[in-house]
Amino acid sequence: MGISAKIYGIDLGTTNSLIAVMDGETARVLADPKTGATILPSVVAIAPSGEVYVGDEAIEVEPRLALKNDGVIHATGFSGGDLGAVIRSVKRYMGLGSTEIAPEDQARYTFADLTGPVARFQVGKRAYTPSQISAEILRALKARAEAAMPGERVERVVITVPAYFNDGQRQATKDAGRLAGLEVVRLVNEPTAASLAYGLQKLAEGRVAVYDFGGGTFDISILNVKGGVFEVLATNGDTHLGGDDIDAAIVNWFLAELPESIRNERHIWNSARRLAEDAKQKLSSSDQTELILEIPPDLSLREKLTRAHLEALAKPFIDRTLERCRLALKDANLDASKIDAVVLVGGSTRMPMVRREVAKMFGREPLSSINPDEVVALGAAVQASVLMGTQRDMLLLDVVPLSLGIETVGGVMERIIHRNTTIPTSVTEMFTTAVDNQTHVDVHVLQGEREMAKDSRSLARFKLGPLEGQPAGYPKIAVTFLIDANGILNVTARDERTGREHSVDIKPSYGLTDDEIEKMLEEAMDLGEQDLEERLLIVARNDAHQILAALHKQLSEWGHLVEADERAAVERLAGRLEEAEKGTDREQIAKLVEDLNTATTPFAERIMDAAIKQALEKKSVEELA
Amino acid sequence: MICDQCGSPLPVPADLDCFSALGVPRRLTIDPSALEAAYHELGRKIHPDRFASSATNVRALSLSGTALLTRSYRTLRDPISRGLYWLELIGEKLAENNKNVPPELAETVFEVQEQLSDLRDASGDAALELRSEVTKRRAELSATMEDLGAQLSRNFSRWDASTTSNGGNDNQALVVELKTILSKIAYIRTLLRDIERGLETLRAA
Repeated sequence: MGISAKIYGIDLGTTNSLIAVMDGETARVLADPKTGATILPSVVAIAPSGEVYVGDEAIEVEPRLALKNDGVIHATGFSGGDLGAVIRSVKRYMGLGSTEIAPEDQARYTFADLTGPVARFQVGKRAYTPSQISAEILRALKARAEAAMPGERVERVVITVPAYFNDGQRQATKDAGRLAGLEVVRLVNEPTAASLAYGLQKLAEGRVAVYDFGGGTFDISILNVKGGVFEVLATNGDTHLGGDDIDAAIVNWFLAELPESIRNERHIWNSARRLAEDAKQKLSSSDQTELILEIPPDLSLREKLTRAHLEALAKPFIDRTLERCRLALKDANLDASKIDAVVLVGGSTRMPMVRREVAKMFGREPLSSINPDEVVALGAAVQASVLMGTQRDMLLLDVVPLSLGIETVGGVMERIIHRNTTIPTSVTEMFTTAVDNQTHVDVHVLQGEREMAKDSRSLARFKLGPLEGQPAGYPKIAVTFLIDANGILNVTARDERTGREHSVDIKPSYGLTDDEIEKMLEEAMDLGEQDLEERLLIVARNDAHQILAALHKQLSEWGHLVEADERAAVERLAGRLEEAEKGTDREQIAKLVEDLNTATTPFAERIMDAAIKQALEKKSVEELA
Repeated sequence: MICDQCGSPLPVPADLDCFSALGVPRRLTIDPSALEAAYHELGRKIHPDRFASSATNVRALSLSGTALLTRSYRTLRDPISRGLYWLELIGEKLAENNKNVPPELAETVFEVQEQLSDLRDASGDAALELRSEVTKRRAELSATMEDLGAQLSRNFSRWDASTTSNGGNDNQALVVELKTILSKIAYIRTLLRDIERGLETLRAA
């Protein structure tokens, strides 16, 4: 078809991001051909001019205290606001509302406003959502992969997310993909991806526990891996618990003597954070290290840190991960002794203490034979090959991490989909009116495990209607809540009395609406004419790709329903689109997509009718038998 | 749910029952591994992973078909939910005669609630003693639960026998028996959950 149908696997991590692809039977991480680096630090710098740097280049301009050529220590780097900003661990802010930003985060970054439904970083005159920042990381990964594989275009991807990500966090990740001009074919949970990488090599089978302790998030997933089926039994976690928290604990100890206003000064705090990260890594192999920080004009901080002391600082965080493990085992209805293999994922599992505590909890040595930094990206590439149809014997059955419910009378949350239910899953609920002539029914969707709506996380609100002059209790509206294979909620509504589909206009409580994303795409495009053309072209090519793939499938499966002259006309259009898609005239591509869409509508409807008829016939035959 | 010729997901009739969805015989006695095998085999064919590049309507059918398949599997896998679903299939409901505590359980229910309320207020040695009493009670109830499970599977066998022999005269007796067993199970399950919560609060305190 002339279209690159290859799907790439992306680990969009808190600290590091990677892109991988299946190469025959094995998955491999793609390296930057210039530097040989496989890991891209998830750090994004935005200069006052609006110019963007990602990875090591962004780290170069992070605010810090540095010794300059004149032999004097200077405060340097983009320290926020009008001076440009450097954002790390943006994943921690994905899907967060402005009101949910913690005070310590407000010390690290300048936020645009503290009331809106989406947190936004303020840089110069512009505000950036976490999805926009993440999109820059995705663009850098795409560029890296395209440089590593000359002639290939990266357009379709699988992106991994923490298993415990809620609906809003997942949606924000998908938005980031869209903003980067990528088609996100699937979101896959990180621990599940890791189990796929191990499973492909038959390294972990039976009941497998994946302990994934990364830079910003913690997940524990318990799976049953058997005969190519990867069935998640239970998952638990904390999306704000990771190596970053241990670093912050070291910084707070190291800078304890300084007054809070000085400690939180961005150059000082970030310099200390770098020292803490270094020290933590050194203490994985040695027993003692030293942190030294010179603060101009004449303050010098110098502290010894032993491994024992680091472990005392890290203990509260590791204890929290172990508690999550116990909860997951309980939900899976399994005793720790029943686990056949424990897999370690994420940079924080390099700490000897983590390995020791996990071994103690499960009563067995954990596995880490696949590089814990790469295993998630490799697993994403495996899932990509499943989606491409090249890997046909694997079946992945994941779960929804948090219960989904609706607010009922008295502010009670009524659970309609329980946590750890296999996805995709759907539940249909009936709604009606409480008073005569009620024009709308308001529905408030919640996520979480608490009993009361006010304690749960608001997911979205929507209105059913308009309803016209009907007595109370008369309307019957069936609302179907469907959680798709990405773990994202889709809502449809149907009037049971008229059989009409109701439109459901969902307002996400925290997150972007479609219009806002469109606007951002346009804004991003303002940055440069070249850039704009390029992105619009990608969008047009994606559309072309999708419609052509669908058409080929329809023609091969339902060809007998297509009239000869119809077929000729459609194939002529498809041929022209395939030709146009190779070129760069996006308006031509868009027009042909439109034409093809119109031309295929009549037989798409016939195919639908035939499929329904076939299903009914099959059923009546079964009833006779 | 899947086209035999082309492998595409098909629209699912609104009244498709769980047994038909999984392609297993409509019987109450189920071999869990056979049920799982059926679920996985169909799952491999209909899962959205198989249709990532298909047209929107095909992807939607795969999604709703998989959701239905999974729901059917969960309903049939657990004997208790399977029994409740069976009642629903034959137009019966547990709720109507489940408002009152089964007489032979009334005393136990009362005693357990009493013990748990005492446990909440107790401290020191008294709390320890109560806890061992409650733990003992939990063991008794678990044994009862196991016995009810056995009764349930005997009831299932009789249903299957009556359906295959096509007699069906004793079905009313079987309905009453099934309801009684399920009703007792519901109460004991609640009691066990309450005990678990009570002991957990104690542990946390």
